[in-house]
Amino acid sequence: MVSIHRFVRLLPAMAVLLFAWGAVAQSFRVQCPTSTAIHPLIGGAPNPSIKCQQISGGDGFATMGDGTQTYLFGFGPLSGLADIVKGLPGTQPASGFNLDNSPNLPNIGDPQPGYGFNGAVGLVPDPESDPAGQLTGHVDPRLIMDVGVMNANQPAPLFAIDEDDEFFLTLTNVGQVMRPDLFEQHTVHFHGYPNASSFYDGVPDASIAINVGGSFTYYYLAPEAGTYFWHCHISPPEHLQMGMVGQIYVRPRQNRVTGDLGVALKAANTVAAYGGTTGVTCNDILCTGQTPLPAGANATTGATGVNGGGMYAYNDGDGSTRFDVEYPIQMMGFDPNFHFVGMTFNPESFTDMKDKYFMLSGRSYPDTISPGTMQTQSTDGTLHSSQPLPTIINIPAGGRALLRISDLSVTEFSTLASLGIPMKVIGINARLLRDTAGNDLSYYTNSITLGGGESLDVILDASGTNPDSTPKYPAGSKFYLYSPNLDHLSNDAENFGGMMTEVNICASFDPTTKVWTGCPSI
Amino acid sequence: MRDTNTKTLVGRLLRGAAAAFVSLLAVPAQAGVPGITGPTFNLRAGPAYISQPDGASIYSWGYGCSQSPAGFLPVVGMPNQNCPDMQIPGPTLIVHQGDMVTVNLTNNLPAAAGNTSILFPGFQVTASSGVGTAVGVLAREAVNGSTVTYTFTATTPGTRAYYSGTQGDLQIEMGLYGAIIVLPNTVPPNCSSTLNDQAKAANSELDFRLAKAAYSHAATCYDREYLFQFSEIDPAIHRQAEEQKGVPCTNNSGCMVVETEVYKPAYYMINGRSMPDNMDPHYAVQYPRQPYNGNPHMHPGELTLLRIIGQGRWQHPFHEHGNHVRVLARDGNLLLSETDTTKLAGPLLFTTTTTPGQAMDGIFVWTGKGLNWDVFGHTNDPLKPTAAATCTPDANGYHNDPTAPNYYEWCGDHNKALESKPFGNVGSGGPVTLPDPGIVANGPWYGGSPYLGPNATTRAVGSTPIPPSGTVANSPTDEAGFAFMWHSHNEREITTNNIFPGGMLMMMLVDSREFVINESL
Repeated sequence: MVSIHRFVRLLPAMAVLLFAWGAVAQSFRVQCPTSTAIHPLIGGAPNPSIKCQQISGGDGFATMGDGTQTYLFGFGPLSGLADIVKGLPGTQPASGFNLDNSPNLPNIGDPQPGYGFNGAVGLVPDPESDPAGQLTGHVDPRLIMDVGVMNANQPAPLFAIDEDDEFFLTLTNVGQVMRPDLFEQHTVHFHGYPNASSFYDGVPDASIAINVGGSFTYYYLAPEAGTYFWHCHISPPEHLQMGMVGQIYVRPRQNRVTGDLGVALKAANTVAAYGGTTGVTCNDILCTGQTPLPAGANATTGATGVNGGGMYAYNDGDGSTRFDVEYPIQMMGFDPNFHFVGMTFNPESFTDMKDKYFMLSGRSYPDTISPGTMQTQSTDGTLHSSQPLPTIINIPAGGRALLRISDLSVTEFSTLASLGIPMKVIGINARLLRDTAGNDLSYYTNSITLGGGESLDVILDASGTNPDSTPKYPAGSKFYLYSPNLDHLSNDAENFGGMMTEVNICASFDPTTKVWTGCPSI
Repeated sequence: MRDTNTKTLVGRLLRGAAAAFVSLLAVPAQAGVPGITGPTFNLRAGPAYISQPDGASIYSWGYGCSQSPAGFLPVVGMPNQNCPDMQIPGPTLIVHQGDMVTVNLTNNLPAAAGNTSILFPGFQVTASSGVGTAVGVLAREAVNGSTVTYTFTATTPGTRAYYSGTQGDLQIEMGLYGAIIVLPNTVPPNCSSTLNDQAKAANSELDFRLAKAAYSHAATCYDREYLFQFSEIDPAIHRQAEEQKGVPCTNNSGCMVVETEVYKPAYYMINGRSMPDNMDPHYAVQYPRQPYNGNPHMHPGELTLLRIIGQGRWQHPFHEHGNHVRVLARDGNLLLSETDTTKLAGPLLFTTTTTPGQAMDGIFVWTGKGLNWDVFGHTNDPLKPTAAATCTPDANGYHNDPTAPNYYEWCGDHNKALESKPFGNVGSGGPVTLPDPGIVANGPWYGGSPYLGPNATTRAVGSTPIPPSGTVANSPTDEAGFAFMWHSHNEREITTNNIFPGGMLMMMLVDSREFVINESL
């Protein structure tokens, strides 16, 4: 049985090899340089600010809230598999990406829970390099097909990078095994990137799209810090509904600042405008690469009196977006009829499209609070880690959680409400809520509403105290995040589920061991 | 009508080819904001058929001119400019701040439709009350065959919607909506002659703007402007109205019984047209009732004013690829900082969601700053002298020469290579290797290379550009701009009656200064 499956996987790859143009024009390949002009080698070692990731574009299956195994088009992980299966971003520095697969050959169905290899799948010594045997980006297509076919994740693999990083994202099109009538290209659109390059924007009508059997490496210097998202842009009404949606966030430069945050921001604003500016306010109407200093910062030095050392959502200059834990949450809906039609070659209706499964990061309640990865058996009989992201929101008592919320629904708007802990909206569309004079425009609310193509950042602040100084949100409390669009609280015909998850106030979190203590029981 | 071949590759290729073909027929067509001037406007509401890219002819109602308007804008004029007796959206009314505006509305809808009216949110409107008018729920109405007159002072600048105040669920759906633009009466001095103005003049580009600033506020200067109105069509509603249009009637409330729920739109439009029709020129003869287009173009560094209005019934997450938009105002109300009114306070949005009846003004600008590679493929490699150029940073870091083809190039990335070992005459030593052209598919708006402009593209790909010149909507040897899709992100709305591509979709082109943007074409 296994050999037949491997053969089936090999067929598209063999077709590629039959038409190979030669070693220079290899179709599958990864790119992840160890140094670049702005990030040279450090002590002979790859520069850690070069981040890389490889993903497959293909199809697969996911499990819905009512247990239905649903067909997807999707992106799956082809690097960082060990981190992905743990629910972490799959992005690796070059040193973690450029690893020879040969000692740890990946298998069909990887990553299973406990999987240990984080390098690029398929990367093996290049027999034609000079000298031979170097890791040049040459890949063994059989390994790519073994792992990539039918390994679509929902949502797609998580990317996370830091400001000033260079990001090399390789998209490898492994074909869609369940739809032999299709030769879909795929692309990656980095949604919301400022001053995007049309060539790397992932819109096939505006540039190029990668064919089945090929790899395309997207290249971007990290944009301004914020919560973005990404998705395929081939026939978006179809590919997005079918599940080709994912998350990406950029951590602010401010995370690396230990001194006064305002001074650092003023300096960064100055650098962003080529030096000829005060750095207090923005040089252009879109504040490209800059954030206005908070009102109240010292106009000469920029000092706000707040030192760095924490984790922040934005370069706020005053620590106002500081958080203790962060959770990416993607709101999405699936139309089960459309997914069935998508698997069975029938004509698709966009006018009739109606989502019946409503998900947070690929799962509906109660799967949203099920720890660990979710697995779904594909038509090849193998269990794949289809949905690696739970949305269990644990907050250390007295702490703050950053929710990086994006929405990729293709049909309607959804609201997410917090029952108990107020939400503080600090950023919208990957930009800090602050006017150009530096005034804070963040606001408290109990709900946020997003449509497809929007994102925002919410801080759940559990640090409040009652008048008698007892904590407002003591350890052991449980709250809920749910959609008050009550029809979005369903799993198709099941009348309770959908867009809902739980917020737990725990006693503490150990960042080294990643263990939570004192959380409320289910 | 369902197209069972929607999903086949051939079907999609044909439609893609059709899209490119229609755009080519028109020659690169640009936009601007055309409209009619008053301050007295003689409008009528009447029926006609509008067309969709799938060939459908849809019975609709719209506002139009009952006689020739006082004038047309922009001043430079557009070929074929006219104000038909019915159009969707209604004629864009353009007035100046302080004008006393008079709108005479004649009801030429079928008698079965009953009365009609117009609402002008944001203004204090007085209406006539003579014979032929009637009290309405929201506004004074014109009885079938008669005229009502609305008067108001255009007190503040900005973009606002106007639409029927009578049986809105039916009449707005049928197409009775439009835009009214009030231009500021004082131009902030810093907006009156900018370096972008000089650049336009150096390239012999005509000025199609209605004004030089959106408001009398120094932070609202702009170099180009576009108006986008978003609306939907549920053909079942229009069909019911068409079937009952001949019913004899003397009621003010009409005699039609049209179910406007369940609402199931099949057509989604920007400025009354679905893609790709929306990218044909203004006043295109093939759409006599749909005169306005959505086909934005701009040069790097040009402040582009977006006047965005939600018409229809649904919200649409209108997503602009390429950069954020700084929202200036909502419904004509500038969003300014509470502590410093010289500073803007509107949000930066990459998705400017529309809401029915709501208008917003925003500024978009693209420069390529921060890409970490030179979008013109410049290099100071002495072996590639044709790829050399100067970039002298101004106070903000952009090339300061308005007459140069690379005006507004971000000098921080000047001469930085993208490609590691390029074949062409562009910088080398960069971080990436481009894929083999044989394993990728080229889009109809692909300029032919990663680089901006025909000079850079030709250098990058050599004498036989891929794709070959002249067969696509963004020719490598002529335009080679950067194309960005501007569209509703409720992706099923970028379809026309179940066919992709269609609906609320347009391509925005950032053009190198080598390409003249002529918005009269």
